[in-house]
Amino acid sequence: MRKQTNSKVLNHYAAWKYVVLVVTFIVMLLSALPTLYGEDAAIEIGAKAKLNLTPLQLNSVLKSDDIEVKRIDHNSDKTLIVLADDNQQSKAKALLSSYIEDASGLTLALAPAAPDWLLSLGVKPIKLGLDLRGGVQFLLDVELEPVYQLHYDAFIDSVRQFARQQGIPGVTVHQNADSNVAINLANPDYKGKVRQFIANNYPTWQVSNSDNSGLKADIKADEKIKIRDLTVKQNLQIMRSRIEQLGITEALVQRQGEHRIRIELPGVQDPAAAKNVIGATASLAFYQVKQEGSVNAQVLRERSGNPVYVARKPVLGGEHIVDARASLGEMGMPEVVINLDRSGGKIMSDFSRDNIGKPMATSYSEYSRDEQGKVRQTTEIISVATIQSQLGDRFSITGAGDYAQAQQLALLLRAGSMTAPVTIVEERTIGPSLGAENIENGFSALALGMAMTLLFMGLWYRRLGWVANVALLANMVILFGLLALIPGAVLTLPGIAGLVLTVGMAVDTNVLIFERIKDKLQEGRGFAHAIDRGFDSAVATIFDANFTTMITAVVLYSIGNGPIQGFALTLGLGLLTSMFTGIFASRALINWKYGRDFSRDVRV
Amino acid sequence: MKINMMNGKTWDFSNMTRLTKWRYFTSFISLTLMILSVTIISVKGFNWGLDFTGGVVTEIRVDREISAKQIEVLLAKSSQQEVSVISAGEPGRWVLRYSQTPTSGDVSANALDITQVLSPLKSEVQVLNSSIVGPQIGQELAEQGGLALLVAMLCILGYLSFRFEWRLASGALFALFHDVIFVLAFFSLTQMEFNLTVLAAVLAILGYSLNDSIIIADRIRELLTLKPKMPIADVCTSAVKATFSRTMVTSGTTLMTVSALWIMGGGALESFSIAMFIGILTGTWSSISVGTCLPELFGVNSEHYKLVPVSDTP
Repeated sequence: MRKQTNSKVLNHYAAWKYVVLVVTFIVMLLSALPTLYGEDAAIEIGAKAKLNLTPLQLNSVLKSDDIEVKRIDHNSDKTLIVLADDNQQSKAKALLSSYIEDASGLTLALAPAAPDWLLSLGVKPIKLGLDLRGGVQFLLDVELEPVYQLHYDAFIDSVRQFARQQGIPGVTVHQNADSNVAINLANPDYKGKVRQFIANNYPTWQVSNSDNSGLKADIKADEKIKIRDLTVKQNLQIMRSRIEQLGITEALVQRQGEHRIRIELPGVQDPAAAKNVIGATASLAFYQVKQEGSVNAQVLRERSGNPVYVARKPVLGGEHIVDARASLGEMGMPEVVINLDRSGGKIMSDFSRDNIGKPMATSYSEYSRDEQGKVRQTTEIISVATIQSQLGDRFSITGAGDYAQAQQLALLLRAGSMTAPVTIVEERTIGPSLGAENIENGFSALALGMAMTLLFMGLWYRRLGWVANVALLANMVILFGLLALIPGAVLTLPGIAGLVLTVGMAVDTNVLIFERIKDKLQEGRGFAHAIDRGFDSAVATIFDANFTTMITAVVLYSIGNGPIQGFALTLGLGLLTSMFTGIFASRALINWKYGRDFSRDVRV
Repeated sequence: MKINMMNGKTWDFSNMTRLTKWRYFTSFISLTLMILSVTIISVKGFNWGLDFTGGVVTEIRVDREISAKQIEVLLAKSSQQEVSVISAGEPGRWVLRYSQTPTSGDVSANALDITQVLSPLKSEVQVLNSSIVGPQIGQELAEQGGLALLVAMLCILGYLSFRFEWRLASGALFALFHDVIFVLAFFSLTQMEFNLTVLAAVLAILGYSLNDSIIIADRIRELLTLKPKMPIADVCTSAVKATFSRTMVTSGTTLMTVSALWIMGGGALESFSIAMFIGILTGTWSSISVGTCLPELFGVNSEHYKLVPVSDTP
């Protein structure tokens, strides 16, 4: 390796390396620039909202209410109103909602404030985390026990029915405390028959012999995981569509861990409204009403306490509901008109055809936690209606209470129905003023740290200090550029702390190199040779020293939540960029300026 | 130049033993302080933050005249439990913290409506931020945090033993323990809140602490291969000496930026900056003291580095 460097021209970088360097820098600079301009709060009015005002009228409407407008972009499918004051976003939205037909067409948005020529390059500002922007964050827990319970219930019913049909004597099936199913047989000879039935009909269950002449059955572990994943995914979807109703373009709904859902609502200041949509978990189910005292029936109660005997399995669950709206029916009674999906409609159609003239019950379930933190389900029959005709994809139910309650129910149903109860386990609200304060604090710390470091390096390594300083500035530009470019990268307050740390540590690369160069100069080499050897001997050390910090950054990123991930991100990226600028860029600078300086009495 | 070097060398030699003695002395101090730190942690424990315990924290701004006592009385009355009211830097700004009553429903259902509770104060109450964390989340985060610490340590251990011989690695690793225990002991002693950001700082310290140790270990390795005859104590001492100015400059710039964060960063980053500050200080200290003495104790010598390819040393 030494031979190779000797045979080449000393301290020479090929022209293409300089090109790479300059191009990288320019691209990153362009990518970092929009962040400097920031973003303005805006309101987007979609075509769905059917706005009947011209942009000029809009402007005067807003102005008459003391809302300053920066600009209004209007085209055929949407109108974007960019506000001058970020704090007026909610006020403006409330005002505008009275001028449009459908409030769901109105969304809170952010518009980059950078000039058009910059934005036309496709660059975007860095996304800010909730702690910098302000907003509300929820962590939801998806309760899986009730979902598993549904499977257990169905299994138990099915085995019981099989035993009855086959005339197997003395079979009892029940659920154990540790939630597997025990099947006890009076005559062990029938064991094989039961096993066969389970193997054929429930391949996802595993059966084993229990201590006492019976069988033990449970859902297979991998099947449980599958059920869990499906449930969480379904809930994610439901949450997304619910959040959509809140009209926040940059809302984030994502899975966290095994059974949690994280929801971030930037710009929202009042968690209560969001909570009403997210937190309430209600579901509808339609049941066939059975005769009183019927064997296969369960008892549900009406609000008044009247028992209603319904089939154990609902005809249809809420997950088939596509749309639900509150309206006033013919008699002026509030009702909820429900639209079903195709398969739901078919089931309902088949069922109602065979049951015309018979009653059908609609149940409303609510999930809440009791003192021990266990989820409790309360189910109430909200209506028992006689099926008048064959129902199709669209029908209405009445009896959900007054119009406001019907509306609330419809809102929940519209977004679909919950198959697993969801509870809020964490809620954080960051006021907009605090967010702005955090940005200011963070960046003034960054500026101060940067200024001190630049000054110190300039004074300490007089001759080479400027190289380190240029490298440090380039490092920051590239780091900001990368943060803006990487999809999903979010800048948080701890993230800014990571940037500040990077400033302090980034010079280490240069310090290590410069100290080596000093050593080589002391050994009596010329400057150019000292540079060559200094770089060569420092690189391995630099790599070693940065690698361990990289390990902690990766670990932090993989376990952390929002803000901490932001820290890990800037820490890790900072290491990479500081190695790039510290080794590559500063070598390029030094080669260009001092590469041919063979004088021996140089001091650095 | 040459005379200088000769001079330096002879001066070096008489000085070397003195410096080595200093190194031993600092190690002794480190060990004593470490035992003290462990004692402090085991006796006082930590003031775990909301992230790990669950509960409710609200930051509010009210009129300047209102005292902590007034807020406390009102809150205690409505929440039926002890509420801590801590000043948040500027007058009229308070951080309220209380644990949750385990009732049914969502976590937010148990939180007090602060604006309503404080309405008798007849002041404008501005809620700056609020966090409500369920107890099970705190428990999980604590476990996750511990796991992260463990995984990071194991990964680092793996890397070190792959890259360095175990005797040298042991020094760096011991220095690492030393630094982490120090920072933890500080938080235990002052009972400052130990939250998720502090944990992130501790993890970052894991990385940075090693930085100095590794650079010295690199030098030791280099010297061992270059001058196999040199006594090991002298090797360590001259490695520390050779890297000393770099150690000072880097620690200095990092401490400077961390102080900037401390001064300007506001309350949210205060404990993070303090943790980093202490971590960097002890990181530098430990890399010089215990970091080099342990390999010496284990008897690292040039024999252990005979097979190492010379490619990364000049």
